[in-house]
Amino acid sequence: MKITLEALNKHFGKVKAVDDLDLVVENGELVALLGPSGCGKTTTLLMIAGIYKPSSGRIRFDEQVVNRLLPKERNIGMVFQSYALYPHMSTFDNITYPLKLKKVRRGEMKERAQKAADMMGIGELLDRKPAQLSGGQQQRVALARALVKEPAILLFDEPLSNLDAKLRLRMRGEIKRLQEDLGVTAVYVTHDQVEAMTMASRIAVMNYGVLQTYGAPNQLYDHPDTLFVAGFIGAPPMNFLETRFEERDNGFYLRSQALEIRIPDERGVLAKQNDAPQQVIMGIRPEDITIVAEPEGDFRAEVYLIEPLGREDLVTFRFGDEEIRALAPAPFGGRIGERMFLKLAKEKLHLFNPETEVSSFKER
Amino acid sequence: MLRSKLKPTLAYLVLIVPSTLIILGFLWLLITSFSTRIEGLRSLGWTLHNWRFLWESPFGPQYPSIWLVTLNTLVMSLIMTLIVVVVSSLTGYALSRMKFPGRKGFLSLTLILHAFPSVTLLIPIYFVLLWIAKIPLIGRDVPLLGGFGYNTLGGVALVMVAFQLPFGIWIMKGFFDNISWDMERSALIDGASRFKVWWQIIMPNIKPGIAALSIFSFLTAWNAYLIPLTFTAGRAGKSAVLSLYLQNFISESVMTEWNAVAAVGLFQLVPVVLFFLFTQEALLNIYGGGKKGGV
Repeated sequence: MKITLEALNKHFGKVKAVDDLDLVVENGELVALLGPSGCGKTTTLLMIAGIYKPSSGRIRFDEQVVNRLLPKERNIGMVFQSYALYPHMSTFDNITYPLKLKKVRRGEMKERAQKAADMMGIGELLDRKPAQLSGGQQQRVALARALVKEPAILLFDEPLSNLDAKLRLRMRGEIKRLQEDLGVTAVYVTHDQVEAMTMASRIAVMNYGVLQTYGAPNQLYDHPDTLFVAGFIGAPPMNFLETRFEERDNGFYLRSQALEIRIPDERGVLAKQNDAPQQVIMGIRPEDITIVAEPEGDFRAEVYLIEPLGREDLVTFRFGDEEIRALAPAPFGGRIGERMFLKLAKEKLHLFNPETEVSSFKER
Repeated sequence: MLRSKLKPTLAYLVLIVPSTLIILGFLWLLITSFSTRIEGLRSLGWTLHNWRFLWESPFGPQYPSIWLVTLNTLVMSLIMTLIVVVVSSLTGYALSRMKFPGRKGFLSLTLILHAFPSVTLLIPIYFVLLWIAKIPLIGRDVPLLGGFGYNTLGGVALVMVAFQLPFGIWIMKGFFDNISWDMERSALIDGASRFKVWWQIIMPNIKPGIAALSIFSFLTAWNAYLIPLTFTAGRAGKSAVLSLYLQNFISESVMTEWNAVAAVGLFQLVPVVLFFLFTQEALLNIYGGGKKGGV
């Protein structure tokens, strides 16, 4: 089922939790709503679920406007961060509760519950109470309960946040696989950008109730539209430096006290077309910086901190008053205090207008 | 090593001394009720004479029998418990879950009422009950309860409900607050109506709270003295309860028969003790803040 949000607003008193949101989730797609806590992503999800009524705007499932439909009339399944299992019911009763309310025959109910439970690998736990299950098992019960009524839409509200790291990784894969196998439309709320990147076909980044950007994970990673998105997506985060944007000698340059970089001409032209101001914020991801021998380096910097990450080492350099972080293949040979040359991948640079925070490389 | 042993020993010591005193009191009560006379804890002759109130009225036929009085007490306590639990759980749910104007004011008002000394209200309430007694149908002559006006079991129960409600509402609100919103939302999405959510999902999860509040209210009503004394026409009337009945034995004109007082006191106490033995775990919940570990 296709979900369309049109000019959706939600106010709580004076607070605008969701501000003029337009979003389309195509049939069978998994879309992640990504943003820091309090950005309006859960509010959006609860409006899709029918728990909150929108202050204004429209929600459509396929072509039908569902604003006035009750949650139970929307044919959705939802998984909560707290699992929201009913503690006084057994696993079986938890999973069959939606079917019981639909007055499904007892025999069919048993069959469907067993099928959903087997799919989630909890077939043997049906007579246990939630308190007797581990966190991971509770999560599976919650998933089985959401799936058993064969919903047209699945909603996830940070479902993996309460699991330990290893289990989270595993459930991440399982949920994605399940969603693809069933071909069900899904909206997945998370504040974890890795989760969003790995699971979603498209990511909607939100901040202060406003949709920042909406696109495929790679698109967001390689060509962030705004400063917020650039900083929020990617770990370790992108480096930002304040520089001057200059055009001279038929070339485009970024200059600060400690460095001067010539950027590719077509990018410079694009930035110029976008009215890039004199003062811009330059962004570069840590993996786009390499440590090189003197002749090809862009500038010199002093090793300040080395953080081994296993496959790579995250190295913080200082130059002038600035700091920049780079990923170096482990083991990193340098010592703290050593001065080294850094080279930036010019085609991977980003420029942002410090006023509007919009990318100067944004295609129009 | 010594320190770690000293602490529990001290705690036991502190507990044993007052407990012994209380147990001695109960022991005295038990021995007295079966004795003609006693000297300290030593009986000077065993008898069942003190318990004759169970099969005859010791003050003459115009006084109600102990069994009617017991029934009265039971009816009054159950009525009060029922109303307190129903009203508190509905009010507590609303206060915990809904936003409405005056919610904060209402909450602080209940807290103030809870702390209000009830004695100061006795006289105004007397007039209120007199007024209720004039209302047809519910005022008087209702079977079993007598009605909700002055000098009826229902009236006494009503007053006690009023004094118990602030406490009950706060307790129930606390239990509802402990239930996650997600559970309710999940049930709504699963297809339940608002009422079904309340009845099938919320209420089963606050059972400990309901149990605790019921027991607490029942015990309060069972042991109440001041309010029944004030709002019934005396200890000999149709609507006498156990605590008042006991007073018949302590009068100014005749010498008080302390052995009989002990027997009646024990009679009133037995249900409470039995009740407490079986329910103390649920009762502790009221101060423990509800459920632990999921269920």
